[in-house]
Amino acid sequence: MEIDNAKEKDLQKKLRRESFKRNWKLFSQSKLGMIGLGIVSLFLILALLQPFLFLTGIWSESIYHPVVGYDQIIEEKLVVECPKEYPTPKYETSFDCPAEGEVQKKMLYLAQGVEVGDMYDVYLQPAPPSSKHILGTDSLGRDVFSQIMEGSQVAFVLGLLSATLGVGISTILGTIAAFFGGRIDAYLMRQSDLVLMLPTLPLLFIISAFAELKIWHLAVVLGVLGGLGGSVITIKSQALQVKVKPFVDSARITGGSQRKIMFSHVLPNVAPLALLFMVFSVTGAIASESVLSFLGLLNIDMSWGLMIYLSQTDGFIFSGLEYWWLILPAGLSVTFLAGGFYLVGRGLDDVFNPRLRKR
Amino acid sequence: MSKDILVVDNLNMHYETLEGKVMAVNNVTFSVKEGESFGLVGESGCGKSSVASTLLQLQSDNAVISSGSIKLDEKELVGMTESELRKVRWNDISIVFQGAMNAWNPVIKIGEQIREAIREHYPSNSKKENTEKISELFKIVGLEDSIMDRYPHELSGGMKQRAVIALALSCDPKIVIADEPTTALDVVIQDQILKEIKKVQELLGLSLIYISHDIAVIAEMTDNMAVMYAGSIVEKGPTASIFSNPRHAYTRLLLESTPSVVGEKKKLRALDGEPPSLINGLDACAFSPRCPDPSDDCKNGNLEMKLIEIEDGHWADQCCVNCG
Amino acid sequence: MVEYIIRRTLQMIVVFFIFLVSSYLLFNAIPGNAFSNLLLNPNLPPDAYQKVLETYGLDKPLGERVQLYVVNFFKGDFGYSYKYFPKTPIELIAERLPRTLMLFSVVNIVAFYTGFFIGKILAWRRGSKSETWITITSVFSYTVFYPWFALMMLWFFGYKMGWFPIGKFLYPEKWYDAPFDSDVIFSMMIKFTLVVSLLQFFAYTATRGIEALSSRRNIRFASLIAIFIGSYFYWNTGEALARKPYAADIAYHMILPVMVVTIVAFAGTALLTRTTMMEVLKEDYILTARAKGISQKRIRDRHAARTALLPVVTSFIFTIVTIIDGSVLTEQIFSWPGMGQLLLQAVLEEDIPVAMAAFSFVGVFALIAHLIADISYSYLDPRIRVKSQG
Repeated sequence: MEIDNAKEKDLQKKLRRESFKRNWKLFSQSKLGMIGLGIVSLFLILALLQPFLFLTGIWSESIYHPVVGYDQIIEEKLVVECPKEYPTPKYETSFDCPAEGEVQKKMLYLAQGVEVGDMYDVYLQPAPPSSKHILGTDSLGRDVFSQIMEGSQVAFVLGLLSATLGVGISTILGTIAAFFGGRIDAYLMRQSDLVLMLPTLPLLFIISAFAELKIWHLAVVLGVLGGLGGSVITIKSQALQVKVKPFVDSARITGGSQRKIMFSHVLPNVAPLALLFMVFSVTGAIASESVLSFLGLLNIDMSWGLMIYLSQTDGFIFSGLEYWWLILPAGLSVTFLAGGFYLVGRGLDDVFNPRLRKR
Repeated sequence: MSKDILVVDNLNMHYETLEGKVMAVNNVTFSVKEGESFGLVGESGCGKSSVASTLLQLQSDNAVISSGSIKLDEKELVGMTESELRKVRWNDISIVFQGAMNAWNPVIKIGEQIREAIREHYPSNSKKENTEKISELFKIVGLEDSIMDRYPHELSGGMKQRAVIALALSCDPKIVIADEPTTALDVVIQDQILKEIKKVQELLGLSLIYISHDIAVIAEMTDNMAVMYAGSIVEKGPTASIFSNPRHAYTRLLLESTPSVVGEKKKLRALDGEPPSLINGLDACAFSPRCPDPSDDCKNGNLEMKLIEIEDGHWADQCCVNCG
Repeated sequence: MVEYIIRRTLQMIVVFFIFLVSSYLLFNAIPGNAFSNLLLNPNLPPDAYQKVLETYGLDKPLGERVQLYVVNFFKGDFGYSYKYFPKTPIELIAERLPRTLMLFSVVNIVAFYTGFFIGKILAWRRGSKSETWITITSVFSYTVFYPWFALMMLWFFGYKMGWFPIGKFLYPEKWYDAPFDSDVIFSMMIKFTLVVSLLQFFAYTATRGIEALSSRRNIRFASLIAIFIGSYFYWNTGEALARKPYAADIAYHMILPVMVVTIVAFAGTALLTRTTMMEVLKEDYILTARAKGISQKRIRDRHAARTALLPVVTSFIFTIVTIIDGSVLTEQIFSWPGMGQLLLQAVLEEDIPVAMAAFSFVGVFALIAHLIADISYSYLDPRIRVKSQG
């Protein structure tokens, strides 16, 4: 018996390896999926790179830390007096004075001994990208690239955690609803209705008002809300389709217990759809987190949403592209990582949905 | 002697897949005469449906016709542009697909779907003319006129299949392909549909290509036939001649595996093994691994697959002839 | 079936009751109350705060308050707004709702049509280079960080180019001596949009029976022209003529928000259409249609797109349900004083009667839609009927 068991396990392992290979081959055929995977891995590398840089000492924490780091970028500027009437040979309108590399004397109210023609040190905050800070620094002198990396970690932790939690809940509840039907099903469906009835954003506002939301809390809240909502209904309908398949009947005839049938026959067949859901709900979780930190409702040190919130409260967002490194990287990161996960989901769809297969 | 309406010459077709090329149709040659009924028989996956879709040039995107020609009424179909093909389809050659359940668009009424085909090929017809035409066709296949205003899901399987036959006849085609038209129907209905097809064919003097895995049905329905195995024709000729004197080992086994209601009781023989994988093609005799008693040449792969004429109009593959 | 509907309705009432109670408890869980800021005012006598609480019944214990609220709610009494005192929540909603509906019905109609059209083309050109790139663009426009994107567009079109106004929904100076309220104009514009789309729909269904394709197309085109001429006359005669400049002012303020939300919303429809279309294109009846010699364009538009329309329409119905929820962020960014803003303000300021009324409105909306979707889903799609029989 034991030998048989070992053999069977070997065989199962082999089969699993083969099906994985095949699925991977199918996935790699999907151009969209591969692009998505590329984007997601890029951000994953970014997320992992930051602790590596700190640990190896390539980056010093006092300068590059995304929250408490600080770097003085000093620029020497020529002190000038702006003329009262325009145009002059040097300046066409009053907006052109002081020109680049110059500073107006009137602005230097603290420095009294400074005369026109002197050189004057200015702390650049926010500082534009340089070789030291490839995405510049923000208005507090913190490295933007390091913040993007930190935000990437936050997005992965939050997205994956809440998606796993949510899909776990909805898969179990959906399968139970499909399997037992009757009152349990009715109860679970009405519960989904209830969750779907609540307007999401105002609800999160309320929650953030009476609870200090940290990343972990938010992940749980988003996971539970997502897990109890509409996805239960979809998983249930999928499980219902599996339930009437002949192999479930044959398992029942051969005397499999309810629980065994549910866990070993129905659940694995719902799993692909659940995985798909998970990938798509990562997209949703990343977006929700960004919106909440953008509105300043999260108790969180750093995230992409928070970066945009800060650049908005500091008024840089309406300065157009002059301070582009404060506005574009964070917003594009949210967009691309969420889109990357979405594309991976599309690629998985090609694998698990054989009807769509090209070949 | 009536003339050939469809001539398929040395047709080769394969599918490009992840695993490699699947050689679905290899060196297939046959012809169908006017008013004749031609049968194509073989087990599942032998390439008979691939032949059918290639005849209408409806093969999927990953199918490649590497060589050969299909002449329909002297017109070469291989290499025709899509708009030229559109004129040929249904007008010259139509098809009854397997699985009538899925042949109808679920959200369009039956009558409208037939009318749509007629409209495409006879744009000047009035609506009344088209309706009369459909009603006439419905009478032939034994359907009520009211079916025209029904949606597909409102019909039974047999009714749907009758309507599919009416659809196939709607543009007066010269040749109709029936690709396993009775799968997914129960036995009684199957019989009715077969009779219906036979009746229609004789009534209208159509050429018919009947594709089936059931050799008994082929015997009942056709004048000439071909047996396909692993993408190739292994035996072809007049149906009567093949049944009375099967020469290829596969044909013999196929005949022996089918019960006969009339005649003496015989022991049924089952065919061992599975058809070979068609990936990247086969070099020599395809059937020898399953042949109960292969000749040495056949086993060692010295013989190419090639049809030889055994008697007048009766051809068989040279390997595995007379063995088994 | 009747029994099923009755049971569902009863369940719905229970769910709604739980929804009401839990919403009230949620609002109550927010620290402080709507009048906490009175405590900060040193000029008020010390007992004023207590008096205010008594006036609004906020001094009663929580259980009693919940009970009172729910009972009154089912009696049809929603109380008065704490912040806009003499006004009732119903009055506030009646004032705000048309503004939201106007904005989002235009967005949804435009997004639905463009999304469906683009999705159709994408599925049809599956595998081509342009398909890949347009799909990727749509995905990023679907997952774009919305508030950020909206602010960037606001900066570019409103500030940099100066084409569109920022942060208002109308020019107050223009409305200073207007003979009517903005709500009158809003409801008029909604009615107009509704009538035009109904006429368009009617023209489309009425011409479905026409046999010849070219005459069908011509008649449809003529009806479109007729609707255009009709609307021209409508806006240039009688009552509407006087209101035209005001309607134009609102329409002008709507352009930017509509554009921004549409860019995000259309992509969702396009991607969904693409997926469903691709599934439909694998169906056997598409092969039948090709065998019949039907032209590619007709197969795409008539056979594939029409079947693919069903799930897209279903999801569209659900999108309509989430309009108010979705409007919160948009209205905040574009300073559009609609339902979303009302809801948000009420929640933040703990104006419980208004917040509860808005929540209930959203909830009832969603519940009814779910019920209708549940019951009618099988009737929308004949294929599901077949499945449920077999």
